[in-house]
Amino acid sequence: MPDQAFDGTSDREGTAPGEGAVPAVRVEGLWKRFGQQIAVNGIDLVLPAGRFIGLVGPNGAGKTTTLSMITGLLRPDHGRILVAGHDVWADPESVAQVKARIGILPEGLRLFERLSGRELLAYTGRLRGLPGAEVDKRAAQLLDVLDLTGSQNKLVVDYSTGMRKKIGLAAALLHNPEVLFLDEPFEGVDPVSAQTIRGVLERYTSSGATVVFSSHVMELVESLCDWVAVMAAGQIRAQGPLAEVRGSAPSLQAAFLELVGANGREAAGDSLDWLGGGAGPGGGPR
Amino acid sequence: MSADTTAPAPSLTSVFVRLKLSLLRNGLRQSGGRTAAYVSSIVFGALFAAGTVLAFVLLRGHAPAATVAVLVTGALALSWAVMPLFVPTGDETLDPSRLVMLPLRPRPLVRALLVASLVGVGPVLTFVLTLGAALSLAHGAAGTVVAVLGVPLATVTCVALSRSVAAANIRLLTSRKGRDLALLSGLVIAIGMQLVNFGAQRLGRAGGLDSLEPAASVVGWLPPAAAIGAVDSASRGDHAVAAARLLLTAAALAALVHWWRRSLVRLMVEPDGSTIGAASDAKADGRSGTGLLARILPGGRTGAVMERSLRYVWRDPKTKAAWVTSLAIGLIVPLFNAFQGGGSIYFACFASGMLGMLMYNQFGQDTSAFWMVAQTIATPADAYAELRARALALLSVTVPYTVFVTVVTAAVLGDWTKLPEGLGLAFGLLGAMVGTGAVTSARFPYSVPQDSGYKNVVPGQAGLAWISIFGGMITAAVLSSPLIAATIYLHVSDQRSLLWLLLPAGPLHGALLVLAGLKLAAPRTARRLPEILASVSKG
Repeated sequence: MPDQAFDGTSDREGTAPGEGAVPAVRVEGLWKRFGQQIAVNGIDLVLPAGRFIGLVGPNGAGKTTTLSMITGLLRPDHGRILVAGHDVWADPESVAQVKARIGILPEGLRLFERLSGRELLAYTGRLRGLPGAEVDKRAAQLLDVLDLTGSQNKLVVDYSTGMRKKIGLAAALLHNPEVLFLDEPFEGVDPVSAQTIRGVLERYTSSGATVVFSSHVMELVESLCDWVAVMAAGQIRAQGPLAEVRGSAPSLQAAFLELVGANGREAAGDSLDWLGGGAGPGGGPR
Repeated sequence: MSADTTAPAPSLTSVFVRLKLSLLRNGLRQSGGRTAAYVSSIVFGALFAAGTVLAFVLLRGHAPAATVAVLVTGALALSWAVMPLFVPTGDETLDPSRLVMLPLRPRPLVRALLVASLVGVGPVLTFVLTLGAALSLAHGAAGTVVAVLGVPLATVTCVALSRSVAAANIRLLTSRKGRDLALLSGLVIAIGMQLVNFGAQRLGRAGGLDSLEPAASVVGWLPPAAAIGAVDSASRGDHAVAAARLLLTAAALAALVHWWRRSLVRLMVEPDGSTIGAASDAKADGRSGTGLLARILPGGRTGAVMERSLRYVWRDPKTKAAWVTSLAIGLIVPLFNAFQGGGSIYFACFASGMLGMLMYNQFGQDTSAFWMVAQTIATPADAYAELRARALALLSVTVPYTVFVTVVTAAVLGDWTKLPEGLGLAFGLLGAMVGTGAVTSARFPYSVPQDSGYKNVVPGQAGLAWISIFGGMITAAVLSSPLIAATIYLHVSDQRSLLWLLLPAGPLHGALLVLAGLKLAAPRTARRLPEILASVSKG
């Protein structure tokens, strides 16, 4: 499966971003402040449909705030957000169009943890208006693919971090959304679960859907995404196809450090020249 | 270190006692407010102990002295037994799982732990109370001798009981299920206070204490209250009975220590399998989406939301505590008043008020998981379906329960003629509470802390919660005033033959209020989803 997914992404590599089609997400002049702190400082974003998109940035860059506003969970102070051509913050009709088309896996928000994994999916699916038999079928398949069948009758409160992320992902995919928003989906997840999640996401994008996920792990973004947006201090520093953003830098990590202006910090290591577990020449005064 | 292997026990005991003393001292050294709370609780405890001892001394020589002394000791022992299950003590010297890595032998360890657990405010308070109980009973030399033996024996037995119960259940207490149990402690206190309140009222009346004598005669043979019973027996000259009761208590203490030691040994040498246990338990009660509940309930959003709400009543400790409190107090207040002859059918409305309160702060009960709901609401119609399903889940339990409480109250009062108006008023009030509950849920949502059995509001949102609850309750009272006015009018104008009209009028009025509340709340909910989510995510 992953192989097919990679074939699919490389096919799309050639086409210009968002050309001809409605972008998955269009953000114009988005602004949000909490008290004195400006979390999101007037950003503009165009995320093309059908891509695996990474929103990268250091902790506190405003990634979660941005994703929350795009998905309708947090009201922006200013700005306009269109998801698949529909305004997220306009009239109820348009909001309904958006909510039916997106799936979310937020970070730091609970699930209904006193339900079992199976019950949580049944509840989510019926809340989405899917027929019962269809929910059961999709839930069984998702549980199977995500390796949760053995724990499907266990309460989510007793799940590990990786299992929670996986059941959250299953709940977000159940209604087959066009755009999937994942906030730090690999945070605290073991390698086996991470690989499972990765496989499901790659299969999902290979069929033309869009994944937008936030992360501060550059290697992960570099290996998964074909399109990145770099965020720092509430602003977008760069956005575009991965190769374009990386430019001449050897890795996305290096390009990122340059973009956020953190390259100079490496010199700070000089002031710790005594460090080295006593093996170095200056073992420190006794 | 001079401690050699031939006599390790005394040093171990002193280590534990010193550890306990430093913990107590550090408790006093904590910052401002906590020190004040600590000191005031000690002062309060001392005053309470002094008052009780004084009461016991005054009781000395009066007939019910033995009954009171024995029952107080029994209640004390009971509270020691259940305390570890509901109150996480934070007494780390007694948590055996912290000692697993140390090379300790069971016998000296149990001795050291027992002596260390005698140090503290609780054991001292227990000692003073049992001393008071013995003071009220001891007469003559024999009585004094038995008291001197019995009081320490009863105190040590109380402490050993608490420790052995805790040790036997420590795996449960440190697991998720144990933490859930601790969250129910608020509930135990709420219902216990009601029972104590009514018990005290009952006993306050003349001759009330006599009715407790049979209970006392049984409890007097149960350790550790048997030790206090022994003081009474000895004072009356029944030396054989006194000896038997003392021996019984001593035997119970020995058995408890043995049980404690066995639990400790098991804890120290066996691996912790609590998570495996929790998993298999959940498997046993977990059902798929096609359970009994799913088959009864309607399809679509209504069924899904009702099913989740009803499951949460049973599975979520905070929700369960709120429900059981409402159900129990809603029953206790009208029934106990009726039993005491001071009741009225109108007290049954208390039940509908308590139950209707469960509709308040619906989204706060979801915690930040409300995002899953918010994700599926776009139009006022969605919000209406969501709120209506929650109200239906609530009413599916509270409507039959209101009928039950009202009918039982009428039966106890023996006044069936008042049943129609009682039911009508109760339903009217229930409807008003559910209707206002829907509106306040949308307008004044607040976070419910999930980690405390006592707190139901996070710091900073208390004002919001007060507006929600009291504003809502006053509005509900005003909204149901037409029914109340009609009842009063029909009584005063002596048109009692028309009072049955309240039976259809009440539910109709209530249903209209529920509908109006839902209609009013739905557009507000749909409009304020991000604000509601932010407000309920602080817990």
